[in-house]
Amino acid sequence: MSDRLRITGGAVYDPANGVDGDVRDVCVLDGRIVDALPTDAPRLDAHGMVVMPGGIDIHAHIAGSSVNHARRILSDERTADPTAAPALRDAVPRSGTGGTVPSTFTTGYRYAGLGYTTVFDAAVAPVSARDTHAQLDDTPIIDAGFFALMGNDAYLLQQVAAGERDRARDYTAWLLGATGAYAIKIVNPGGVELWKRNIRTVKSIDDTSGVPGATPRAIMETLADAAATLALPHPVHIHCNNLGLPGNVSTTLDSMRALSGRRAHFAHAQFHAYAGGNGKPWASGAKQLIAYINAHDEVSIDVGQVMLGHATTVTADGAVEYLLHASSGRRWVNVDVELETGCGIVPYEYRDAAAVAALQWVVGLELFLLSEDPWRVVLSTDHPNGGAFTSYPELIRLLMDRAYRDDRLKAVNQKLLAGSALADGLAREYTLREIAIITRAGPARQLGLANKGHLGAGADADITIYARDANIAAMFSTPRYVIKAGELVVEEGQLRRAPPSRRLYVRPPYDDAVMRDLSAWFERYATIALANYPVAPPRDAPVPVGAGA
Amino acid sequence: MTQMSGLVEHVTCLGCGCSCDDIVVAVRDGRIAEARGACALGASWFGDGRVPAIARAGGSNVSIDAAIDAAAALLDEARRVLVFLGTDISCETQRAAVEVADTVRGVVDGISSSSVASGILAAQRRGRVSATLGEIRNRADCIVFWGTDPSARYPRYASRYAPEPAGLFLPNGRRSRTIVAVDIGGARGPADADVRLEVPPEQELDTIAALRASVAGRSLGTERFGPALADVARRLAAARYVAIVYDAEPGALPAQPARAESLTALGQGLNAGTRACVTPLRGGGNRIGAEAVLTWQTGYPMTVDFSRGHPRFRPDDGPRALVDAGAIDAALVVGRPLGLPFAIDAVHTVAVGPAASDAACEIAIDTGVAGVHEGGTAFRMDDLPLPLSAPLPGPPVAADIVRTLAQRIGARRARRS
Repeated sequence: MSDRLRITGGAVYDPANGVDGDVRDVCVLDGRIVDALPTDAPRLDAHGMVVMPGGIDIHAHIAGSSVNHARRILSDERTADPTAAPALRDAVPRSGTGGTVPSTFTTGYRYAGLGYTTVFDAAVAPVSARDTHAQLDDTPIIDAGFFALMGNDAYLLQQVAAGERDRARDYTAWLLGATGAYAIKIVNPGGVELWKRNIRTVKSIDDTSGVPGATPRAIMETLADAAATLALPHPVHIHCNNLGLPGNVSTTLDSMRALSGRRAHFAHAQFHAYAGGNGKPWASGAKQLIAYINAHDEVSIDVGQVMLGHATTVTADGAVEYLLHASSGRRWVNVDVELETGCGIVPYEYRDAAAVAALQWVVGLELFLLSEDPWRVVLSTDHPNGGAFTSYPELIRLLMDRAYRDDRLKAVNQKLLAGSALADGLAREYTLREIAIITRAGPARQLGLANKGHLGAGADADITIYARDANIAAMFSTPRYVIKAGELVVEEGQLRRAPPSRRLYVRPPYDDAVMRDLSAWFERYATIALANYPVAPPRDAPVPVGAGA
Repeated sequence: MTQMSGLVEHVTCLGCGCSCDDIVVAVRDGRIAEARGACALGASWFGDGRVPAIARAGGSNVSIDAAIDAAAALLDEARRVLVFLGTDISCETQRAAVEVADTVRGVVDGISSSSVASGILAAQRRGRVSATLGEIRNRADCIVFWGTDPSARYPRYASRYAPEPAGLFLPNGRRSRTIVAVDIGGARGPADADVRLEVPPEQELDTIAALRASVAGRSLGTERFGPALADVARRLAAARYVAIVYDAEPGALPAQPARAESLTALGQGLNAGTRACVTPLRGGGNRIGAEAVLTWQTGYPMTVDFSRGHPRFRPDDGPRALVDAGAIDAALVVGRPLGLPFAIDAVHTVAVGPAASDAACEIAIDTGVAGVHEGGTAFRMDDLPLPLSAPLPGPPVAADIVRTLAQRIGARRARRS
């Protein structure tokens, strides 16, 4: 592989640098974008094609104990989706299986095959971080990191309850470094601990039925402040209370207001944007939610679009999965993870004919189509919860092609759609620039990845080149070329190289005093020695934190 | 000269699936003098740390390099290769072994298919309700030992996990918990249980069904099981957090094959009204790691066939059947060859692992024992990953040898294509 490359003639979509479809060269040297190259540098002809930075998935479930629990029960669907080893030039090619939760090598190959080059696993139980790193080591090409689950951590909850916010912050910093995580994740703050105590609903963000003093509000505030004080590249990443329940938009808005003025990312907002409940039928709460988001710059979301078809719901939010199991009769996995979090899995299908599934599909699209700032509304399906990441091209088509979208809308159950904005007619069609924002530049900005999501000098040379096609889904499902850190991994639509991926993680400083207290806690309650808890540091350097980062 | 004496702390023991990680290994003169804190099983697993360090091919001792070359040739030229994941190897070694199976389009399996297959298949039909051991330690106020007393094969289970330790929600340890022993014929629960339920082996499934019905409030007809069953059902429903613990490894008596699925159904039913988990006891040597690695690399936890160029799940057509049918002509055994589903001399066999040279096979490369001579990762019986220490220097590292083997096979194939 040459270390120099000039991509010529393509229409470049690089919104972070104000480039909107201009035909210009993109130059690559030693894995980075540079301003210029000598004229004898090798050329890649991109005439008539679209050039974008590599895709960035801010919220997916691709590695870790919960994902592996899901894989091992899905033998039926993966039997129908075997994947032969690709013909690679640089690595031993590996076969695998797909379905909604692909095996590791297949995950790397398929993401790269879609033009995605960076992916974050959104929910890792800290105690199983070592498992996640091992799985990511077997997930080639895509740079990857993960978020550590902290919103139901028993030690942290005690610090919150005691008002020990400094100690909570120091613990957070230690935990991020010890696990090699990238960001703080909160799932159903306090609610997973309640589920373990057989309390199945969180009444409000001020619910006091859990650890006294550690209300959902206090947990979110403490961790949002910790992320801010530690100057982490990504703010606190929140899955709100009451996921999937009718009427939950009020909880979501309360959570956003609770953190008003603080940076926060709210995950898979679609699953938290339902009106109705209390005897009233489900309805869309998307208009209310997106109005708040549009007006508040400190808030970002990823949508968590539901794609009609097969999915596997995988979450740390165990209580939700019990409800899904009980209402659907489908097989169900629950794993309570010691002192930290939970895990629930139900394989699922969102059917056109199902009223709630149709509503969920509509709510997600409304969030996209009513958003006024694409930089803060990131494309996701909460893979594999709303649908597999392989459905992203179809989702992009729904956003860019109104006629197609309206046809699909007619085919779904209309029962709960009265009064929804989409049913009333939304004409908006996303532009290529906006797609480049919601799949590249926006997530890079929200994640604080200075070298990704754009094509300016100094950026990682992660580049995707699409041949234009009247069928948008076809265009985005088979990029003609994908370049990862300067290497051509997809050529003429074929995967040709699978270099190892880089690990994205932080190692913030903390006051060592927390270790004495933590050591006593481990002695009393943990089943793993504190000395055995931290993972070996990844071979890549950490992403810097702090004001100077 | 490396340090030949001293203490190594926080060592993880793979003697059983408890994976106790608080062992202090005392090293003297290059041998393990003592494994402090280990149970008898653990002490025996550590031994004195002496293992052979031989590489053998074609009936004589050769260099490791020559042995790997011979192994690469044998496996590359075979018609159909079986890769078997034995015990006492790290996940890093298992990952390389699965790569070999993928590259040569072989069949790969481990101990699980002959021990816990029924549980794995049950989970695929029904799911699981599980918890990590720390959750049982800190939360379970009612523990049902279903036809097992962990003290025999999992000696420190009681003191590290349950019922003895005090936990976050169980300040008085054992006294905070109700222990239910379900005695299934001769498979008895702990002697000091608070409640006993005697179950004739032929009535095991009916008993579970009756418990399910009682827990769901459908008690019609369950009275024929007697007041003891009604009492157990009442205690389960009244508990804050129930843990049902059974031994998934083969024992002296054959286990009821539908046990795992029936208990899972009971556990799932219990969660309608309270909280409950069902957790299997599992053996040592990182057999759980083999399931985890196979699952993430192929999507299937056991018995994977790559002969069509991609993984296929073949739970009903495993290695034993293939060897018996003459469909396998070469095997790669990685790890200690425990629980082999075939006679090691029935096919051309390469063994790479601790004391491999003791096995009657054509090519053998001795390695260290994972957790004694080499580090890496292993999984506890509850699927939690733990780091391994290497208190002793030792023979070549298994992960390095299997990786080199995979590379040489890959290179041979690349030269031909």
